[in-house]
Amino acid sequence: MKKLLFVIVFAAVFLCSVGFCADKPPGSSPPLGLPAVIYPEDNPQTPAKIALGDKLFEDKRFSTTGKVSCSNCHAADKALTDSPLSVSEGIRGLTGTRNAPTVINAAYFKTMFWDGRSPSLEDQALHPFVNPVEMGLEDHEPILKIVRSDPDYVKAFKDVFGKSGEEITMTEVTQAIAAFERTKVAGNSLFDRWYFAGETEALTPVQKRGFGVFANEGRCVSCHRIEQTQAVFTDNRFHNIGVGINNIQDEVPDLAREFLKAEATASEVDVKVLGDKRTSELGRFAVTRRLDDLGAMKTPTLRNVALTAPYMHDGSLKTLREVMVHYNNGGVTQEGDRVNDFLSGGIRPLGLTEEQIDDLVAFMDALTSPEYAQPAQKAGGK
Amino acid sequence: MSKKALGVTIGAFAVAVVAIGVATYADEFTDKDVERWQGEFMSVVEKGRALWTSPDLGTNGVACAQCHPNGANTHPETYPKFQQQLGKVIALRDMINWCLQNPLEGKALKADDPDMVAIEAYLAHERRGVPLDPGKH
Amino acid sequence: MRNSGLTRRDFLKSGAALAAAGTLPVSTVELAFAESEKSFTFAYISDAHIQHIAGDKFVHNWDRGLIRAVAEANLIAPKPDFVVFGGDLAQLGMKEELDHGAEMLSKLDNELHCVMGEHDYYFDLGEYWSKLFGPHHYSWDHKGVHFVTLNSVLTYDEWTHNRWPTAKQRMVEMAGLDNPNGSPFMVGKEQIEWLRKDLEAVDKKTPVVLFSHSPIQKIYKGWNFWTEDAEKVQDLLKPFENPTVVYGHVHQIQYNQIDNISFHAVMATAWPWPYPQSYAQAESHLPKLTVPMNRADPFFERDATGWQLIDLDSGRVTMRYNLSSNTNRTVAYNPKTGQPEDSAYQLAGSRIPPQNHY
Repeated sequence: MKKLLFVIVFAAVFLCSVGFCADKPPGSSPPLGLPAVIYPEDNPQTPAKIALGDKLFEDKRFSTTGKVSCSNCHAADKALTDSPLSVSEGIRGLTGTRNAPTVINAAYFKTMFWDGRSPSLEDQALHPFVNPVEMGLEDHEPILKIVRSDPDYVKAFKDVFGKSGEEITMTEVTQAIAAFERTKVAGNSLFDRWYFAGETEALTPVQKRGFGVFANEGRCVSCHRIEQTQAVFTDNRFHNIGVGINNIQDEVPDLAREFLKAEATASEVDVKVLGDKRTSELGRFAVTRRLDDLGAMKTPTLRNVALTAPYMHDGSLKTLREVMVHYNNGGVTQEGDRVNDFLSGGIRPLGLTEEQIDDLVAFMDALTSPEYAQPAQKAGGK
Repeated sequence: MSKKALGVTIGAFAVAVVAIGVATYADEFTDKDVERWQGEFMSVVEKGRALWTSPDLGTNGVACAQCHPNGANTHPETYPKFQQQLGKVIALRDMINWCLQNPLEGKALKADDPDMVAIEAYLAHERRGVPLDPGKH
Repeated sequence: MRNSGLTRRDFLKSGAALAAAGTLPVSTVELAFAESEKSFTFAYISDAHIQHIAGDKFVHNWDRGLIRAVAEANLIAPKPDFVVFGGDLAQLGMKEELDHGAEMLSKLDNELHCVMGEHDYYFDLGEYWSKLFGPHHYSWDHKGVHFVTLNSVLTYDEWTHNRWPTAKQRMVEMAGLDNPNGSPFMVGKEQIEWLRKDLEAVDKKTPVVLFSHSPIQKIYKGWNFWTEDAEKVQDLLKPFENPTVVYGHVHQIQYNQIDNISFHAVMATAWPWPYPQSYAQAESHLPKLTVPMNRADPFFERDATGWQLIDLDSGRVTMRYNLSSNTNRTVAYNPKTGQPEDSAYQLAGSRIPPQNHY
């Protein structure tokens, strides 16, 4: 009997760890610690649409080599990232300049990509297909050809949208993908159970101390937002925290002036920032051309952060400890490095002790949602 | 002394007590009492003012009054409130402590520290007359 | 409305867009184009308040403000004609503070003109400041505009010379904005006389722009948002067709029109100040015209600070506020109404919640 129980539990854990019980059925209440997902009026959730989106998400035919799909960089067994890659790899192993953010809880972002150049999940899905270092397509026609002719897709699009042939456009394709992504919400971490459900022993004493640093001396909470009834761990704003841009400080004036001179479309920005590392470091400035946005990147969520190493928009910080040290130094990775002129006003040296840094790192482990936790993590080791 | 003398003394004392205006019951206090207690309060307000303008509250020489002349823009009448940047409902003293630790790069004060009470008294005094509006952003 | 318009070309484009939207009269834009060979831009950075702690340590927050403003100003293309520093470079007038501030300003890739602030002045009465930046009051002409800089933070001789036992004490007393021991700012008889002579030689049709630290108005005496002899200076400016005053000191957006004189305040790079109406115990006279800046969020140190680009178009000032972590603001002179107006928020119905100060 015990053996059978063990097998069942092990199977459940295994299945959950590879994301099989991660999906939230439409209409159910949000996970513990998260607010309700906002669904766009023109893209309601249905089980069939979600299943279609999943299929599109995995389809490698939507690339020039037939080897790259969304799930290459947002893999179910890697917390929907491509950890441990620093920057993502597209067709023929071509690399871009940015670290793949997790799709988990992306439904709570108000803009997509590190620089917020996309206003929605639907719009975001358009871009990687036609980026030279991602799927490499010239345009979306190859995708449309497939979804309009492949029998499984023909049936699915008819069922979901009541459309067929030329009626199927990238709008339907991206709506399905977005609907699938909106089911990838996960809370119910040890932190959620401690903070919102009153389970006083859910966090270890070290983690509780770490939360104290997070909310006070570390100043983390001002950007990685926690509120009284829910926590998305992002303020949906953009900040220059001195990663990446520090390396090109002397080139910023020339790079910036280039952008100030010529207005670029969203697609042009998409290609430019993934194609040239120096341009990538301009951050949101490349999108808005506001001096205030120089070197600024979007605050990511911290949920499941223990699973998504390496860190920052360029994957340059390999461990959480390195991240904390960067913040503690006041926006430079090596203490004594020159601080860049455009550093966000929220970043300054923190004066944390080694113990406080360790506590903070330990607290990060408490943000993992159980359905994505690795078996080793569940056992308490790391 | 004789019984009569004692009675007279007590009576005289009682008359004197009433005449001077010393309250002898809990529900009795006089204008002079109020004036005196107000003075006690203002002495702490003044201490709060001194702390408010002091460069020594933190470690970098910055004084509260540099950004908040006469305590303006501290809005004591709106606390407790949901302080959106901290993600929780806090009391005025928590915000004071945030400022002590951040712009002033100093240490937090305990809630019952006389200095904290003095600062709160000063802020409330500079904001007197403004109706309570807790939670107002 | 796009808020990234920082080159001159972008400004004109956004001006046209605003005209189409009906928030700026078409005539302003037309005039700008008509007079475009006379129009030019200069940068204005002010109120850095570099504050010395000990040794080589300065208050990190104020340092970052000036560093950022200088770095951003250097990015503007085409380059502004010159840069003005509007006063209060130091916090307590110390040599270390003025040196540290001057070093940061030296990174400006441009010609610099400086205005005296009280935090620069009251330790050594501007002696070291002069070594770094030159005379306390002066004038010059540029592209047909007459510019004057005054030291408008002087005060009564008695207070300056006899009241305080040490220079340090005098500086500390004046440094407290709300200090009841302070003394009102003024330009003083000597400078008024100098100004009168200086302006005598200037044609009344020539645009005149006065740089001053104090407001050359009487706004709120308790915080020295005040110039005691404001009317005397205003009287000297009134005969001109296009007089403008640009002032610092207040660390907030303010603008006003008194007769034919336009007044524009500049932001501080260091920190914002409350609007006087948020002091419950006193009456103030903030110009009704002013649409306040957004309320400051102290959790982001650069919030409610900034610097500005000033366009001179047809002799009148357009103030473009570059506000950190904020939507930028533009306040331009409207020839139809004869007063400065905010390009987006002037009408009562277009105000937004962050502009509500209480």
